[in-house]
Amino acid sequence: MHDNKKNDRRALDDLFSAVYEELRRLAFAVRRNEQAVTLNPTALVNEAWLKLASSPGFDVESPLHFKRIAARAMRQLLVEAARRRLATKRGGDGAQWVTFDEAVHREAVSERSLIALDAALDELAQAEPRQAQMIECRFFGGQSVAETAAALGVSEATLARDWRSARAWLAQSMRHAG
Amino acid sequence: MARAVDAARRVTGVESRRWQRLQQLFDAALLLPAGDARRTFLVQAAGEDAALAAEVLDMLDEDARENSLLDRDVTEIAHSMLAPSAPPAGARIGRYTVRRFLGEGGMGVVCLAEREDLGSVVAIKILRDAWLSPARQRRFRDEQRVLAQLNHPGIARLYDADTLPDGTPWFAMEFVEGLPLTAYCLAHGCPVERRLQLFRQACEAVRYAHALAIIHRDIKPSNMLVTDDGSVKLLDFGIAKQLDALDATSGHTRTVLRLMTPAYAAPEQLVGDKIGVQADVYSLGVVLYELLSGRLPFDLSDLTSQAAASVLAAGPPEKPSSRTGAGGGAVAGGAAPGRSGWADLDVLCLTAMHADRERRYSSVEALIRDIDHYLGQEPLEARPDRLGYRAGKFLRRHWEAVSVVTAAVVLGIALSVFFTLRLTNARDAALAEAARTERVQRFMTNLFRGGDETAGPRVEMKVTEMLERGVLEAEMLTSDPPVQWELMHNLANVYRQLGRLDDADALHAKSLERRTAVRGHDSPEVAESLVAIGLLRIDQAELEEGERLIREGLALAERLLPPDHPAVVAARLALGQALRERGVHDEAIAILEDAATRQLASNALPIDQAEALTALAAAFYSAGRYDEARSTYEDVLERHRAITGGAHPLVAGDIASLAAIEQDLGFYDRSEALAREALAINESYYGADSVHTADNLTSLGRALLYQEKYEEAGIALERALSVQEAALGPSHPMVAEAVNELGNILAMQDRFGEAARNFQRSADIYRSVHGDGHYFVAIALSNVAYMNMKQGFYPEAEALFRSVIALFEESLGADNVNTGIARIKLGRTLRLAGRLPDAESESLAGYEILAKQANPSISFLRAARDDLVLIYEATNQPEKAARFRAEIAALDAPPL
Repeated sequence: MHDNKKNDRRALDDLFSAVYEELRRLAFAVRRNEQAVTLNPTALVNEAWLKLASSPGFDVESPLHFKRIAARAMRQLLVEAARRRLATKRGGDGAQWVTFDEAVHREAVSERSLIALDAALDELAQAEPRQAQMIECRFFGGQSVAETAAALGVSEATLARDWRSARAWLAQSMRHAG
Repeated sequence: MARAVDAARRVTGVESRRWQRLQQLFDAALLLPAGDARRTFLVQAAGEDAALAAEVLDMLDEDARENSLLDRDVTEIAHSMLAPSAPPAGARIGRYTVRRFLGEGGMGVVCLAEREDLGSVVAIKILRDAWLSPARQRRFRDEQRVLAQLNHPGIARLYDADTLPDGTPWFAMEFVEGLPLTAYCLAHGCPVERRLQLFRQACEAVRYAHALAIIHRDIKPSNMLVTDDGSVKLLDFGIAKQLDALDATSGHTRTVLRLMTPAYAAPEQLVGDKIGVQADVYSLGVVLYELLSGRLPFDLSDLTSQAAASVLAAGPPEKPSSRTGAGGGAVAGGAAPGRSGWADLDVLCLTAMHADRERRYSSVEALIRDIDHYLGQEPLEARPDRLGYRAGKFLRRHWEAVSVVTAAVVLGIALSVFFTLRLTNARDAALAEAARTERVQRFMTNLFRGGDETAGPRVEMKVTEMLERGVLEAEMLTSDPPVQWELMHNLANVYRQLGRLDDADALHAKSLERRTAVRGHDSPEVAESLVAIGLLRIDQAELEEGERLIREGLALAERLLPPDHPAVVAARLALGQALRERGVHDEAIAILEDAATRQLASNALPIDQAEALTALAAAFYSAGRYDEARSTYEDVLERHRAITGGAHPLVAGDIASLAAIEQDLGFYDRSEALAREALAINESYYGADSVHTADNLTSLGRALLYQEKYEEAGIALERALSVQEAALGPSHPMVAEAVNELGNILAMQDRFGEAARNFQRSADIYRSVHGDGHYFVAIALSNVAYMNMKQGFYPEAEALFRSVIALFEESLGADNVNTGIARIKLGRTLRLAGRLPDAESESLAGYEILAKQANPSISFLRAARDDLVLIYEATNQPEKAARFRAEIAALDAPPL
């Protein structure tokens, strides 16, 4: 039991590393227009899986299991990043870092909303862990409806209904938090 | 709804039920038209729970909106949150001021910065988002640690390292401006010879890293920059690996796979096998291929690691020469190689990048040698015909079987056994250390003596150089005093194991002084130092002082630490060893038995338990209690088998110890069988070309020697020697050991002149490694002198023996066993030369030194008695002769 937890932590830790490096690498390539790369989490997770599955001692049971961990890693990764950025913006005594990614023209995602989503998701997990997992897989892990339904063992119709209600609830919860 | 029931089982009741309510009402309301119908329905359905109705209404509002965060692509979020950031120009990092952003690597941002007080420019690497995962911090610090050890003109070096106020680690390194190796050659139109010279420079840097047990693992042209002045710098040790035996179990290696560059990766890297220096040899081979032919050997783009590995396994690429058109298309200018030149280059390049690592150059050093052969227009070592030539020569060598073993030859053998036993003990101590202590210490110690998963680097290392660097590094580590003491302490232990006792002494003294100053006398650190210095005194033959210090350290440790603390156990083991050395076998065994019992009863690691038993087994062995030694080693063997799964060098070590016991007991056939078993394990573990294997071959050779199977012994020892020479270079202590052994075989065949040359060579090697005054030099010279004597060159023998004795007296003391042995041998020389009074004084002096300390039956004492009997008979002193004759008779009598 403890060992499993440890292994999970270890796997998560390794995945954090893996997913993060890939995200960064791709983000950088996109910005420099070096090649036609989109920052696509699905592709990312698939690529990470291909690379990691062939390495020895990597004892994740299946691609599905792997993707679940990857989605979790992605969520924690992004939320942690948001917290850090927020702390820096508040003028912590850390080093003054500048963002030099000027190529992202879209409206920036606010750190606060991501952090609020994370909190709401935790709350949802208290009531209905499966739906929280659904959000993690679909949203953070970039998995398709079919993949997510298979991972959770529900029909696609159920998934669509659950998605709609969970989305609505999370949105109102975030609004109240904000 | 099975799903809901399933969920409810795992979730706290109230909230889960409430969520189900919310979802039911939400789903139902959605069926109604938006607006009042929904509101009315909800108020009705929720009854008194107005909050419930309000919450569902909020959900419905959100459902109608489309700008929820969840509607966006996580890709955008990733872009926003992970946008690269770097310190702006003018930011201060430590003593440096950032000038501009240079680039972004795997884990770090790299900036150009200036140290204003010195006006020097450096590249600073900062770990991005250090908080993200411990694995990244570990890797970043690994890189830093690796760089800290590297001090070579061909490697961008580390200047400084620290953390920012928020804990973000950074380090400053040499700023290198230049072109990647391949681009440089292209831009300058370098001819083949120039390309090889540049490539060779890069190889030198890699060889240097290997000598420090560091594998780069990501060698590619973009990590090899050529500066304006034409010198090559190796960069980016970001995924370099420090070889470390016990690291093999920690699984760090697996995460590295995705980070390297597949085009240059060795097949074993692609499939995630254990890798050694040969992986770097492979990558160098690919770079060379690219330099020679202008392109990569294989197109591996868009392949998974596994698929890429099978491409590599399918066979060698086209020869580089065939890709250069008429032999030189891609390589312009200069004197183009001729047909045979290209044939050599093909062999050289394809040997370096052979898919089967057994068939690759076994080291970068071997690759460099062949580059030099090419540049010097000499035949390559990798050429098959040359290998055949060497094998043929080897097989044609004729060994004469000589069955007469004279007392003189026994002397020679006994000498070398005594000597190799010392080395083996040092190795055991190193292994024991390795199992017990911190990573740093494991690394330091392992570097020298066994226990590593991958053979190669350490064997090419220049011991002295590496230690001196270590000491310097330790001196610089003032920011982290405990690590500094620890490092000094470990370096001192390594010095001790290498027999450089004065250096060990000085470092231990320094470490102890600092520990006492900061921690006070009553501290575990001081206890540790006292024990270590005690062990050192024992090596210095100050047995009583050694024992006293160890007892003091032990008492201190026992007072400060719980009784089963590893430091206490270690001190007890040390005391046991001290007593064993003093020959107080019963007490040594009692203490070690107690220590072992405590270890077994505690929850100590199985490996530590086995270590305590190993010390006990050695004590039994020293006490001549062979049955108990054997059963204890067998116990240890079982434990090591259980811990390691069987075919592990630790297991081989135990089997080798059992072989030594059988050898002592005269069961040479059993000893031979065990030696072969140990050999088989190490051969499959390390490969046939490893120094560890060579070690076993040496012991096997010795077992064969005792059975008078000179021919087989000769073959085993020749093999050991050629492996060691290839792996270690021609002047390494282990080569000296093998050469010494071969000398013994030649001596047994009465080929004294050839034997003398071998012994002389050992002496030269020891001299270059340890310095003129070291007693190893004296041991080897003593063998040379003995061969002189055997050939009747008495004046030469005498002169040499006298200088040997002086060396022993200087290095080990006038009463040392070795001094005694040399004097006995001198005595025989003088007797044979007919100088009986001089002979008498030497033989007698040697006899007295040994009689006090050694087992009365050892061959040296027997030889001394024989000589004294002959001398006294010849000089008409029958009573004195009778005394020694009586001793001989007493020893020859069957035991009662």
